[in-house]
Formats: sequence, C-alpha cells, structure tokens
Amino acid sequence: MKKKEIWIVDDDNIYQIIVRKIIGKMELFSSFSSYKNGKDAIDALKKAAENNENIPDIILLDINMPVMDGWEFMDEIVSYKSKLNQKIAIYIVSSSIAVQDKDKAKTYAEILGFLSKPITMDALYEIVSEI
Amino acid sequence: MSTENKWSNFVNWFVIRPKTSGFLIFLVFSIGVVFLNTLRYQILKDSEQNEMNIILKNIHQNIEESLRTSYGTTVSLALCIDDNGIPQNFEEISRKLLESNPVVSAVELVPNGAIKYIYPLKGNEAALNLNILDSSTLQQEARKSIKTQQIYFAGPLKLKQGGTGIVGRIPVYNQNKFWGFTAVVIKFETLLNAAGINSLDQTKYYFQFSKVSPITNKEEFFLPIQGDFSKNQYVSYVMPQSDWKLYLIKKEKNGFLHIFILPLLFGIFIAAFLGVLTTKLLNKPKKLQLLVDAQVNELQKNEMKFKSIFDQATVGFAIVDANSGDLVQVNEKYCSMLGYSEEEINKKNLTLFTHPDDVSISLLHLKNLREGVVREYSSEKRYVTKTGEIIWVSLTVSPLWKANEKPTVNIAFIKDITITKQAQELIEKSETRFRSLFDNSLMPLWEEDFSGVKKYLIELDLMNKSPEYVYSFFNENPDEFYKCISLVKIIDVNYECLKLHKVKDKPTLMENLTQLIDSGSFDEVKKQLVAISQNAKQFSIDSRIKNMLGEYRDINLRWSVIQGYEESYERVILSTEDITERKASEKIIINSQKNIKSLIDTIDGIVWEFDIPTAALTFISKKVEKILGYSVKEYLSCPTFWEDHIYSEDKKWVLEYSASLNKKGSNHDYEYRMLNKKGEIVWIRDIINFVFENDVPVSSRGIMIDITKTKQAENDLSSSLDLVTEQNKRLLNFSYIVSHNLRSHSSNIESITSLIEFSESEEETLEMVQLLKKVTQSLNDTMHNLNEVVNIKANINIVSEPLNLRQYSEEAIAILTEQIAIKDVQIINNIASDVVVVYNPAYMQSIFLNLISNAIRYCHPDRKPEITIDFYTEKDKKVLQISDNGIGIDLNKNGDKIFGMYKTFSTNSDSKGIGLFITKNQIDAMGGSIYVESEPNIGTTFKIYI
Repeated sequence: MKKKEIWIVDDDNIYQIIVRKIIGKMELFSSFSSYKNGKDAIDALKKAAENNENIPDIILLDINMPVMDGWEFMDEIVSYKSKLNQKIAIYIVSSSIAVQDKDKAKTYAEILGFLSKPITMDALYEIVSEI
Repeated sequence: MSTENKWSNFVNWFVIRPKTSGFLIFLVFSIGVVFLNTLRYQILKDSEQNEMNIILKNIHQNIEESLRTSYGTTVSLALCIDDNGIPQNFEEISRKLLESNPVVSAVELVPNGAIKYIYPLKGNEAALNLNILDSSTLQQEARKSIKTQQIYFAGPLKLKQGGTGIVGRIPVYNQNKFWGFTAVVIKFETLLNAAGINSLDQTKYYFQFSKVSPITNKEEFFLPIQGDFSKNQYVSYVMPQSDWKLYLIKKEKNGFLHIFILPLLFGIFIAAFLGVLTTKLLNKPKKLQLLVDAQVNELQKNEMKFKSIFDQATVGFAIVDANSGDLVQVNEKYCSMLGYSEEEINKKNLTLFTHPDDVSISLLHLKNLREGVVREYSSEKRYVTKTGEIIWVSLTVSPLWKANEKPTVNIAFIKDITITKQAQELIEKSETRFRSLFDNSLMPLWEEDFSGVKKYLIELDLMNKSPEYVYSFFNENPDEFYKCISLVKIIDVNYECLKLHKVKDKPTLMENLTQLIDSGSFDEVKKQLVAISQNAKQFSIDSRIKNMLGEYRDINLRWSVIQGYEESYERVILSTEDITERKASEKIIINSQKNIKSLIDTIDGIVWEFDIPTAALTFISKKVEKILGYSVKEYLSCPTFWEDHIYSEDKKWVLEYSASLNKKGSNHDYEYRMLNKKGEIVWIRDIINFVFENDVPVSSRGIMIDITKTKQAENDLSSSLDLVTEQNKRLLNFSYIVSHNLRSHSSNIESITSLIEFSESEEETLEMVQLLKKVTQSLNDTMHNLNEVVNIKANINIVSEPLNLRQYSEEAIAILTEQIAIKDVQIINNIASDVVVVYNPAYMQSIFLNLISNAIRYCHPDRKPEITIDFYTEKDKKVLQISDNGIGIDLNKNGDKIFGMYKTFSTNSDSKGIGLFITKNQIDAMGGSIYVESEPNIGTTFKIYI
C-alpha cells in the first residue's frame, strides 16, 4: 500500500507532538505536516496545488483555532475544491462533544467523519483503510 | 312734358332764390335804365349839338353875309378908284355904301398900304396914314389878301381909331399894278350883332370868337372867356377867309348831371325798388315752398315711423277694412303668427283665419265698431295657422276714423297668448290635482287661515317679542289665549282628518273643534302662537288630540305657510299625523336603550363607538371614569382625547395601526398603553368590531379592557423568562467552553499516558513525561481561569467603594512598566485627578490591567505605540475610554468573538482569548457595558459605560 500524506491542523502544541509520535509509530504515512491554524493550512494547500507538489491525502482538522477556525477552513476548502485534482479525506478531530459541532460537520460533504480527542491508533488505521 | 318740366324747373330756380332773382331784376333794370339814359343823353346831346350847329351856322352865315356885303362894299369902293388911282366921289359912294351896309362902320382906301381915305372920318382919324404894310402886326394879314387876291378880313384887332374890329381888305390893281387896298372896317360888336349873337340864349350858350394870331400863333379869344370851355359841349366853325374860329359853347357844364345822372339815379332807384319788390314777392313762394318741403319731410318721417312700428312690432298689426273685414295691410309679425306670407294674407278677409267657433263673435264686434256702438273692443279668440295649428290671440281693435265720419279702416293689435292660455290650463289642472291630493292624502291635512290670529297678535303687540315673553303672556292671560284659538279659521280638511277624529263629515268637525284640543295640549298650542309671533313659516310639534270617541291619540302636528301668504298667514297647511303607535314603539325603544346602557356600564371595560366618516367618537361608556379617571363628558368633549392620552412610546404605531384598520375594516384587537388622569400608565386591550354599509366600514365599536395587572404579570414573566433564557444560554455556553477546554487537556493526558505505555525507550518515556508536565500545567491554568470566571458570575454582593480613577489607572500602568519600556509605549492619561467612581477595586484594577496590556500587546509594528486613557460623561453616563493606535480588529469578522471565551484571532502567542471575556463579565456584574470600536491597521478604542 502506498504511503499516505497526512496533515494535522490544530493549535494545541502538545497534541501535535502526541500525534506526530503516534503516526511515527504507525509507519503508515509517508509524510506528516502540521499547522497551527486554518489559515496556515489553506495557504500551504494552495501553494502545494499551484506548484504541483503533493497534496495531502488526509487532513485532521481541529475546530477551535485562532485566525481561521475549522469551519472557516472548510468554507475555504469548498470554494477551492475545484482546483484540486485529488480527493482529500478530511476528518474533524475535536475535543468538543457538542451536538451542534457534530451536526455542523455533517453539513460539509467533504468531511468524512467526526472524531473525538484523544485520537487513537485504531482510529487512524480505520481512516487509512477507508481511503 | 320735359320742356314743361325744364321750364318749370327754370322758373323754380328763380322762385326759390328770391334774393338772387331780385338782384338780377335790379341788375337788368339798372342796365336798362343806364342804357336808356345814355341813349337819351346821347340823343339830347345830339339834338343839342344839332341846335348849336344850326345856330352857329346861322351865325356864321350871317357873318358871311356881312362879310360878303362887306366884300361887295369893298369892291364897289374899289370901283370908285379911277384909272389913275384916284378915288372919285369917295364920300358919296362911301355914304351910300354905308347906308346899304349898316354892318360896316367905316370904309378905307389904302393906297400902297397907307390908309389915306376913311369915311366916316369922324372918329377914325387915328387910323389915317397908317401904313399897314409896314406895321409888323398888320402887314402879315394884309399881305395875305394880296396873296390870295381875295378879300381877307384881318383881325379882330385893335383899331387905331379905337375899339376892336375887323378889317376886310381887297387888293386893288390899277392897270395890273398893285394900287393898294380897299378896306372896310367892321366894328366887332356890329359884326357880332349882325351875326345875331345877341339873340343867343345867353343862358344856354355863349359865343366865342378866336383867331390864331399870326404873330404869336396862339389862339386868341376875342370875347370874354368864360373859363376853359374845352370841357363843355361846343361846336366850332372855321371861317375860311379869315382864319377865324367861331365857337358856340354850351353854358351849363353841369347840365350833364341833370340830364344824365339824376334820371340814372332815379332809374336805378326804380330798378332797385323793382328788385326788392321781386325779392319780396318771390320770398313768399319760397317760404311757402320751404314750408311745403318741411311738411313733406315731416309727413315722410311720420310715415317712416309708422312703417317701422308697423313692420317691426313684436305684436301683430293689421289694418282691416271696417266694413268688409278685409285685411288691408298687415305687418311681418302678423304674418309669421299665422304662418302665411304677406302676399297670401293681403286682401283676404280676416274670417278666413279665424277659428270657426269664433267667427260669429268677430263679425259681431266688427259690426258694433262700425255702427259706433263701441269705439274700441278687446277680445280673445283663436286663429287657425297655415299648418292647421290653433293659436290663442288677444285682440284690441280701434277705428282709424273719427266718431262721426264714415268708417274706413280699423287697426287691430294682436298678441299671441297661446302660451299664457296653456299656462292657465296647466294651473287649472294642477289646481285640480292639488285638490285631489289634498283630499285623498293618507295623512290628515287641514287648510287653515291664521290671518285672524296674526292680526290679533299684532293688536296685542306680541309680534316679534321674545318667545319667552309671548309664552308667559299667554300663561298669564288665558282669556286671550282662548280668543286666539277661536280666531283660527279652518278652510278645509281631508278624509284622513275626518277619520282621525272619528267624525263623519266636515261640518261636524268644525263644530266640535274646541273639544278636540285637549287641555293637556294647551302648552303646544301656546308654542304655536309663539311661533306665529316670531313669523315662523313652519312649525312642528308633538301633541295630543281627543277624537270623537273620547280616545286620546298622539299626533305630530306640522304646519307650513303656503308660498305667497307668508305675510298674511291666510293659507296654512297643517298635517296632524297619528303617531300613537310610533310613540308606543318609541317608548319600548327608549326602555330597551336604557337597559342596554346600564348593561354596558356594568361591563368591566370601556365600551365605545366611533363613526368613521366624521372620525368622531359617538359613545363611550361610564367605565372610562374608573379605568382612566376621566368622566364621559371630559372624554367626549375633546375630539382627539384618545390620541392625546395614548402613551407616547406607543402613540405612533397605535395611530398607524388604527388608521389602517379603519380603512380595511377588519375586526381586530391590540394592546397599548394609555395615560390615566393621574399620569399613570394603564395597559389597554382594545377589541374592535366594524359595522359596514355597502361594503364600506362606516363605524367601529369596541371595548377597551384594563389589562395593566395582567400586562404587568406578563411583563414580569416575560422578563423572568428572558433572564432565565439568557442565563441558560450563558450557562450552556460556559459549560460547553469549559468542557471543551478541559477535555482537550484531559485527552492529551490520555494520549500521552498511552504513548508512555507504548514507549520504546527511556528517552521517549522521559519526553512523554515532560509533555505530561506541560499538559497538567495548562490544565491547572485553565482551572484557575475558569474559577475566576465562575467567581465573578456567582458574586452576588460585589463590594464597591469610591475609587480614585486616576490612581488605579496609574497603578496598572506601573505594573506593566516593563512591557511599556520594551515596546516604548507612550501612555496619555487624561483622567482628571479628582474623578471618583464607586466600583469594586479588584475589578477596576483587572479592567485597567487587561485593556492596557492588550493595547500594548497588539501594538502596530510600524509606529510608536500610543495609548490614550479618557474619562467623560455622555448623556449622564460615565464613560471610561482606552484607545490605542495598534493593529486594530476586523470587527466585521471577529466582532462577535471579541468578548467570547477562548476566542483568539491573532497569531500572538500571548493571547489566551480569555482576558476580554473576564473584563466584560466584571463590567456586566457591576451593571455597566463595554463597547469596542476599531479599524484594522488604525487602532482600537474600548468604551466602558460605568
């Protein structure tokens, strides 16, 4: 199986370290990038698309982030989707358990799932297998 | 004919110009006179001349005779001269000669020019020896005789012997030799006498004798000159043998005048006289002519007048033959009236146009007129027009002949009265109709005469007095009152009237009239009398009558004065409508109305009725007193009462809403506030119903219920609900935020611990443990923050004390000295040092710290940071304002997040997203509010309303 590229979009440093560790252990992914907020992520994505670099296969998106939060990021994705020639599997990973958030995630077709923190290796396996 | 005319014209010309004619006559005659006179004069003159000529001829013939005899004498004398030249018997011969010729006064023998022999010598001695040939004066004439060889009479000259005379000489030749002369001397006077001069009529003529003197060549006159006679009439004769000129001069120079001028003048005078006479004579005809002309003019004018009147009159004129009735002359109007043309009518008999029924009367009238029975008649009759229409005319006929003359023509004056007649018919018809209407009317009607009442009122001096006065008068004087009633005359009543009073016929009614007026209704009668006294034309009142059966009936009495009788009240129409049933129904209605009213008043709400067309309130129930504190009267007195008393905040929408409702007419209810008399707010629920007429809302009715208490309760509930909801929301928010934040930390811990479990090396484990430390630290912080927030919220009694604002601001600035120095921030503190605010000290410090540190943290990298702190009052609210010139906030994007919990929107690592949240909470807890104004890249301003 080809190794996937995964991006993490989350403002929590510690969480980023944790995820990096977990992914390192799984050896499932070819590369891993992390961004502190939606804006950095979307900029990077656009840049990758224009330069014909690798676009991530999976994005794990947090909701509460400064500058541009998860929902805003999603809106950007929706409007940019046409320029992408590759499908991206986006998953919301949030510590929020609010029903509203879960419902809102359903409104985006691009979001394939809503995961609650903490993220486990099993969850990651599942994500990968579904691609 | 024309020559006659010409002649008469010609004569007329003179006739009409008497002065001219007179003058002409004068002129003609004058000329005639002058002419005749001249002629006469001429004739006279000629005859005169002739006479004179004759006389002169006579004279000169005499003279010539004398001269001839003198010649003869000389010759004879010459004979006495012998051949020797010596005179023989001179004296003897001379004597004889002198006897035979008395004219000669002396004879002379002049041999060789010297006078040698004179007979008679006596007296003539002086002439002896005079040599005439030597004498300068004499010789010329003497030689003349020699020249002519004939006798020449010289002179008249002055004789030597004295006196004047003429000398006749003949040359004598002896044997053909000049011997001398023989001369005769004729005394001038003798000559003249012989001539017969003395026999001249000295008065008429005088004689002049002249000769051109040979010496002087001037004409010498030998007789006394009586003036220059060249102007006089004279005749003259030149004697050949002696160059003598004889004149016969007419003496009367001014005989001219007599002959000529006087007759002339006389003649002219006569001419003038004739002229004047002619003028005078001709004046008369002229005057007459002028008079005639004037009369003719007058006549013509009258003729014109008559013609125009006749022709253009708007009434028909016809001149009718008095005997036959034929139309002699008609005017335009007459023709048009009858529809015929003038030619058609002319000469026809008037009976042709008369309606067959009226013909006989017309002829009768004509006959009467003709016979002098009447001098004029007027009548109305019918004519038949050309189209067969019948017209009514009014006819007035007068004769154009004097009373005792023979009838000639009548003049008729005809007026078309068809319309009047028609009108009359209509009046009659309407009269009949009125009658039948009156009689058969379904309402009892009376025709009455109040004139007697009015007259009596005038007598009583009650007319136009005040109604109260008249009324009380009748109250005090019942007799007068009864008298007035008795003066009412009933002219007529109709069937219904009889029915009302239950009488059989009119007479019965009339008799029993007084009985029918109930004593109880006297008051109404008095009111009627008052009305009459006020000159009322109409009157209406409800009253009672008693019919013949003794029953009482309620009636509505109305009377109205008929047009035309307003002054006299002679004809008044009364109607007495039986309103007994109506009155009964009225009572029922009134009763039920009363019931309804009391019902309405007991309803616990203000019942009202509003008329839409007039936009006025027609009814409001008594409850308004209880609910709004105003009386019904007060409410209804002001047309905008309702609007005026709506609470100001609700006024606009209520009025708009009600206006729209009124248009649509849809039943509705709404709630609003009104102000009661005490100024308190009253909540009203207004339920409205509309009444329609022809699909248009004409009035609305409603009930206004006092729902103040309910509203209050509602409001309280509502605000409680709001509060609870708000609280709930916040709580939900809070709990959500809390759980999320806490969860993130706890999930991290979980992850780390599981990683530690799966750690493959000591190193890794240590790393994880470090991480764990960090996470727990964060968790702690979060807990701490949340604690703070909860504390604030749960704080019921917040301690406030008066704080010096400036002091606290400076304290906060002091705490942040380091950051201020690092970023080189300029802080401008404009808070006055005396500003004191009652506030919680901890909160105040926290607020200052938070806001100032934010301003420092989010300063703009390109410029020197500047923070301004102000304090001012805005609409009696105290405002603390902190503004900076930092990077600003995009309020469109983040406006709602700014005071939210854990909401950050900058990449600044220090921003936790909780500072402003706490600040806001603190401010809210103290009962104030905070607002932010900002522009990206310019700066931010926080306004706190304390």
